[in-house]
Amino acid sequence: MTNGDGFLTERHRQDLVDCYEKLHGLAATCDVPAVRAAARAAIAEVHAALDGQAIEFEYYSHRWENR
Amino acid sequence: MDRSTLHKFWNPVTETMPRADLADWQWRKLERALARAKAGSPFWAARIPDGISSLKDYAERMPILRKADLIAAEAEAPPYGTLPSTDPSLGIRYHQTSGTSGNTPLRTFDTARDWAWAVDMWCTALHGAGIRPGQRACVAFGYGLFIGFWGMQDALMRMGCQIYPTGAMDSKTRVQLLVDKKIEVLASTPTYALRLLDTAREMGIDLARDGSLKRVIASAEPMSAATRRTITEGFGAPITDIAGMTELGTIFMFECLSGSPHIIENNYIEEVLDPETGRPVEYGERGVRVTTGLGREGIQVFRYWTEDVVIKRPWSECGCGRSWDWYAGGIIGRHDDMRKIRGIPVTPVLIEDVVRTFPEVFEFQSVLRTVRGLDGILIRVEPHTGFGVTGLDERIRAEVKRKIGLQPEVELVGPGILPRFEAKAVRFHDER
Ligand SMILES: [Zn+2]
Repeated sequence: MTNGDGFLTERHRQDLVDCYEKLHGLAATCDVPAVRAAARAAIAEVHAALDGQAIEFEYYSHRWENR
Repeated sequence: MDRSTLHKFWNPVTETMPRADLADWQWRKLERALARAKAGSPFWAARIPDGISSLKDYAERMPILRKADLIAAEAEAPPYGTLPSTDPSLGIRYHQTSGTSGNTPLRTFDTARDWAWAVDMWCTALHGAGIRPGQRACVAFGYGLFIGFWGMQDALMRMGCQIYPTGAMDSKTRVQLLVDKKIEVLASTPTYALRLLDTAREMGIDLARDGSLKRVIASAEPMSAATRRTITEGFGAPITDIAGMTELGTIFMFECLSGSPHIIENNYIEEVLDPETGRPVEYGERGVRVTTGLGREGIQVFRYWTEDVVIKRPWSECGCGRSWDWYAGGIIGRHDDMRKIRGIPVTPVLIEDVVRTFPEVFEFQSVLRTVRGLDGILIRVEPHTGFGVTGLDERIRAEVKRKIGLQPEVELVGPGILPRFEAKAVRFHDER
């Protein structure tokens, strides 16, 4: 749930940031194609949420390569 | 409770941010955008001045970008030349402008990150227009290389709406689907929405009565007030104007439920400049939009001269609660479409606004031409079949004269003579 006015709770904010970092860890180190693809797709979505909530914003894809 | 007013904002924080915080957030994003562009794009590395230190400094020192600059940068090594800031092989989508009348198309790609962002811009707009999970939606669109409503398709899915794809359907099949499937949200260009209404009329269907539409989303063309009225009445549903650009990769403006077309300002820096002096104009003054996109990492644009004519109003003049400024009347027209005939300014929307007040008109075309050394307008009008059209040419002539101050020639033509449009309509030709 949110605070009622549609704003994030501190707990949810932290969960979102943690998810994002964990997904990046997976995308950078996991070689299983299905898992890496899922992590990359999820990062893009979670990044949009972080940006929309003015929590985090970055350009990150240049750190990747297509393997 | 009406669900469309529950959770009014897609992102409450950024949509209602105090203006000073919004400027800080824009600056933080801009700094990163400039750094990415300098590091990744030879085009931008040569163009971005060193040491830009604030939004104000940026507006003063960053050069204006023209469409010709983008085309030239891409032409150096097609498809994208020196422009990309991130390796194009990371792109998951390709789009291009139509490249009508022999112009080189502008080519663009999105990384997965860019596309998720682009879709989120549509979500912001659709949620703001009252669209909610579970609604049935139809995007009447060709699903080709033109970016058009692609982002809306994905946004509806992301929001939990149900999509009825109609890519290859003809207008009759689409009209029947709207009725049979009780479609609640329809998206199309204003031109194509008019065509659907005409098709429905031929089929004996009154979509305002027989349909279930709750919202019509119109995009990809400027829309006159008369066209807007016709669409709203014909479908029996309110209309939301949304505007985007291929150059930016998605939409930048949408109408809130109070009717103000807001700029999505946490993702764009929008300046309005006087086209003669290049200086910023005040709120309430007409000028040309110059935009900076903060959302994309593949193809970036900084201070892009759009040719869109707008009038900016302060956020506080809309009561919806968003802290985002807005453009009164949306995109009013295009600066490069403005023509003078015997000293009188004429734009496509100006003519459309008069011609579309006549319900007899199905399609039309205006041609600016010189006859015996005198500039004038010829308006070719194709009436709906089944309407009496006696004296229609005279009435249109008189109304254009009254509203614009010019006496046009009006020629009534038979069915199927004038071109039809699904995407960007081109009804204005200067043959002088
Ligand atoms: Zn508003």
